[in-house]
Amino acid sequence: MRVLLVEDDDLIAHGIQAGLRARGLTVDGVKTAAQAEAILSAVHYQVVILDLGLPDEDGMSLLQRLRADGMALPVLVLTARDAVEDRVAGLRAGADDYLLKPFDFDELVARLHALLRRAAGRSVAIIEQGALRLDPERGQVSLNGHPVVLSRRELALLAALLHARGRILSVDQLKDSLYGFSEEIESNALNVHIHHLRRKLGADLIETIRGVGYRFNMGDT
Amino acid sequence: MSLRLRLLLMIGVSLSLLWGGVAVWMLRDLDDEMRRTLDQRLAMSARMVAGLISQNPAAWDRRTGTAGDSALTVPATAKGIACQVSSLRGEVFARTPGATSAAIATTTPGFAEREIDGERWRSYTVEAHGLRITTADRLAERNTLLRDVMAAAIVPFVVALIGSLMMLWIGVRSGLVPLERLRQALASRAPDALTPIPDAPMPRELQPLVDTLNQLLERMRVTISRERRFTSDAAHELRTPLTALKTHLQVARITRGKDAEMALDYAEEGAARLQYTLQQLLTLAQVEGPFSWDETQRTYANEVARLAMRDAAPDTPELIVLDSDGPPVELALPQALAVTALRNLLDNALRHSPAQHSVRLEIQSAQDAVCFHVYDSGPGLSADELTRVTQRFWRRDAGRGSGLGLAIVVAITERCGGSLALAQRPTGGLEASLTLPRAKRESPLFPSTPQADSRP
Repeated sequence: MRVLLVEDDDLIAHGIQAGLRARGLTVDGVKTAAQAEAILSAVHYQVVILDLGLPDEDGMSLLQRLRADGMALPVLVLTARDAVEDRVAGLRAGADDYLLKPFDFDELVARLHALLRRAAGRSVAIIEQGALRLDPERGQVSLNGHPVVLSRRELALLAALLHARGRILSVDQLKDSLYGFSEEIESNALNVHIHHLRRKLGADLIETIRGVGYRFNMGDT
Repeated sequence: MSLRLRLLLMIGVSLSLLWGGVAVWMLRDLDDEMRRTLDQRLAMSARMVAGLISQNPAAWDRRTGTAGDSALTVPATAKGIACQVSSLRGEVFARTPGATSAAIATTTPGFAEREIDGERWRSYTVEAHGLRITTADRLAERNTLLRDVMAAAIVPFVVALIGSLMMLWIGVRSGLVPLERLRQALASRAPDALTPIPDAPMPRELQPLVDTLNQLLERMRVTISRERRFTSDAAHELRTPLTALKTHLQVARITRGKDAEMALDYAEEGAARLQYTLQQLLTLAQVEGPFSWDETQRTYANEVARLAMRDAAPDTPELIVLDSDGPPVELALPQALAVTALRNLLDNALRHSPAQHSVRLEIQSAQDAVCFHVYDSGPGLSADELTRVTQRFWRRDAGRGSGLGLAIVVAITERCGGSLALAQRPTGGLEASLTLPRAKRESPLFPSTPQADSRP
């Protein structure tokens, strides 16, 4: 799951990025509204964390413009402005959620997962697919009731495939959701992660569509 | 006491006194006039009787003074009036039936008053043609008549007075309606409402009051909104480092090894930033507030420069080059304030200069002020930025400084009567000129309160 963090304060941005990475999310950080706009048009993200006090433009007007341009990504607004009017204005401008600084990190993570869940059209936090059970927020996976230990990348890969609900995801799409901008990717890294997932969860769980990509075997096709 | 009661009392009492006085005056006049008129009538009727008798000599014998053959009969008249005709010797020729002899048996001509049988009479006696004629009025009748006349005169008076007082009450009430409306308009407002009073039609006398109130409300609104903005800005400024601190502490908890250590380092940086912002906020509050500084200590420009340089660059004193002219000059403000102002300027200059580039501090003394010039070799400021740079919480980059440094300098100059000028240097970099007033005293004879007169 790939997150874009738009935050101009270095210290806060470092903290959020480090924390989200530790929680198995892939995060890219930008500091200005212009950078945010540029990167959003180039990379596919699942969720955006937006600070309102940006140096070049108010986060609220950036959000309004992005929504007007048809961006449908869930956006969590992060701000120090706590007046009710500010919150209402933020939600009206197209924010999906609103979190006040200083926030509790666990709450931020929980809200991000809730946003993703709603964006994927699910109402419960836990994804169940046949005998497989994934709690994306806690990073816990179980198969037939037995817990399975997955690495951070494997978890992210499994979550991306499950979110796609049987749609085929290209190699690039999968890499996008696994790695941030700053991370080095080895050419066969994705294959390695797919291999490990198959070993841990069963070989037929992930189908390879030759020349296209991968998809999760929903069991009904 | 309410305005209405005051008006009612003042006008009511004076109206009653005035009308009462006039009534008393009029009643006394009326009483005198009535008595005189009644007396005149008494005298006139006596003379009339004398005239009538003199035309009828048969009624009495002029020579003998006795009653003539033609008897003089007098019909019974109204009760309370009597008449008697007698000779000068006292023989009574005629008398009204009700009249007692004693009542009218006076011998001296003119008016007389006496009591007969428990009743007072007033009589008038006239002597003519050898006859004595006396007419008399019973005083009880007279007084009844007087009382009736008085009552007839006083009742309309009292009615008019009561009517006036009622009209007064109604008039004052309706006259004060706009005031009452204004009071209700004010009373029905929310306690924190700062909107102007609605511009309803007002009497000319109330308009200045409403205008003044509205001006006051507007001033309060501006002040309060400025304070609110400041509070909200301050909250924002404190929240940002607090957020960094909290986030990194929580990250440190969920990570291990190098990541956790790094998070703790960052958390410490956040705490330092929080501390710095808090210190700056407190300094600003102190400079702007009613706090006093130790003013017995004298402030010298070169000492201020030394302390400010030490505070701004404690570890790298070589980065600030001091260029001072002449002997030490005393300044007219507490040392702590002067040092804070200069240190903030030096902080800014160092922060925006390229690494290892020095900052130049120059002190110039003039007749009544000392000017500290701080030159840096940083990027300087655009014209637009120069106008905004002294605003509270304005910063060029997030995370550098508290955004309060120059605001504090400006607040200090406003407090002590100095000034701050920022200018782009033609050779690049920024020149900040801080002008502080010199102490007025020439000798140490007056060690206290020399600063008080130079402060705004």
